[in-house]
Amino acid sequence: MLLSIKNVTAGYEKAQVLKDITLDVEAKEIVALLGANGAGKTTTLQCIAGVIKPWIGSVSLRNRDLAPFAPYQIVAMGISCCPEGRDVFANLSVYENLRIGAYLIRGAKEFRARLDRVYSLFPRLQQRLNQLSGSLSGGEQQMLAIARALMANPELLLLDEPSLGLAPILVESIYNTIQEINAAGKAILLVEQNVGLALEVSSRGYVLEKGEIRLSGPSPELQDSEYVKASYLGIA
Amino acid sequence: MGLYLAQQLINAFSYGSILGLLAVGYTMIYGILGLINFAHGEIFMIGAFVCFFLVTLYQVPWVIAALAAVAASTVSGLILERIVYRPCVRRKAPVLTVFIASFGASLFLRFLFMMFFTDRRRAFPIPELFEKMYFLGEIAIGLRDIIIFVSTIIIMALVAVFIKYTKVGTAMRGVSYDAKTAELMGINSIKVIVVAFAVGSALAGVSAIEYGLTFGILNPGMGFMPGLEGFIAAVLGGIGNVPGAMIAGFLIGGGEILFVALLPPSLSPLRPLFVWALLFVILFVKPTGLFRPNVKFEGLWGE
Repeated sequence: MLLSIKNVTAGYEKAQVLKDITLDVEAKEIVALLGANGAGKTTTLQCIAGVIKPWIGSVSLRNRDLAPFAPYQIVAMGISCCPEGRDVFANLSVYENLRIGAYLIRGAKEFRARLDRVYSLFPRLQQRLNQLSGSLSGGEQQMLAIARALMANPELLLLDEPSLGLAPILVESIYNTIQEINAAGKAILLVEQNVGLALEVSSRGYVLEKGEIRLSGPSPELQDSEYVKASYLGIA
Repeated sequence: MGLYLAQQLINAFSYGSILGLLAVGYTMIYGILGLINFAHGEIFMIGAFVCFFLVTLYQVPWVIAALAAVAASTVSGLILERIVYRPCVRRKAPVLTVFIASFGASLFLRFLFMMFFTDRRRAFPIPELFEKMYFLGEIAIGLRDIIIFVSTIIIMALVAVFIKYTKVGTAMRGVSYDAKTAELMGINSIKVIVVAFAVGSALAGVSAIEYGLTFGILNPGMGFMPGLEGFIAAVLGGIGNVPGAMIAGFLIGGGEILFVALLPPSLSPLRPLFVWALLFVILFVKPTGLFRPNVKFEGLWGE
């Protein structure tokens, strides 16, 4: 078991968001975390990344409790995050963003190798290396955010709503890339509002509602579930 | 008149260097932490005092004393960060609290030195060698002006390269823009903050030496005006923008000297007016400063 979240209750300051959630991700699989706005999906990712700590329960990576670690240490342990809303460093160029993503790498050869891997996944970025990332289009920024997260060579990639605000053709392209990344051996926890898309690429899914796990199971099951179809896919 | 102006140009460059170096320190720290280190002027002052005491009391060779002064400023800055600012960051203190702490640190250091050394002005040690004058036509250029000129250019070039091309420098710019996301890249933002304080404070120490060489005096209150003007230069250069701060420092420092040079002598007490008038005009026309700021503005400032 790669990532294990057990009975976690968590929130911000005094506001509780998550209630007793249990979730896990195995190595090399894509797991979907679904739910409407405000359900607690981003909060869950923040809990994993170490930005907030669980009030009750535990988050463990390979059976190692992540509670005592700061976010920058958790990255070093193999979890990389691509936050919601892209969040690229707009004041830096594409190359510099990738450079920062690779902050923990020592050695130019390793850096070069990861750069090449990222270029092969996102050729568009290679064309725009010196461009200020603030001036990239939404789709390109999303590519950059994912590429930057990949530079840390994570075992587990946390993707927060990669399809948000993108044109359908771009979304398709990004999702193809997500599958390529998974094929290369990385586990992905995919947070999405676009339920249909997420269930197509993932092997398992969890449905979060008001901070609780409402439903979980293999993706084909969820796709067939009447509840999911009615609430999220608009199929009566 | 032309000769007088040319002569003042040299002074303009010296004062511009002093403010430029201070401005870079302010902008680095403000960019990364979002807080103004009001005690930066006192870090400057401590450097000058260390050099003074090493030379006059212990007869330390000037160059060594100057280097020790820069080291002293650096250490003071690091101590300040550890004792005053890091607890604020750790506890996510509100802006007003940090403001008060910062201002308090400034007053504390200034009055501490006044208590021990009184506010009397003392003569800053200037090696005889530096008094040597060279003549370019009719313009007199002192060796100390040349030293200030050369060392400032070199130092600023090094800082610019550091900020732009090294991994830590890039990380600093990233943290400056968005510390939370930077942490998600594996960057320990506390370490980056420490580096910013170290570099900024070292530059303040160099600035203090240059100040001592240029004006020949030191006193516990010496950091107040240059510090304030350095801070204004940092704002004018675009907060968090290091090259911007360098240029703005020269504009303000140099401009101020030339402003006084062009005024009739009876009006010279109006000297500080230059800085404030310039600040007013530029903030009116371009509130974010002359150059692009390096922080993500949210809410309070907005763009």
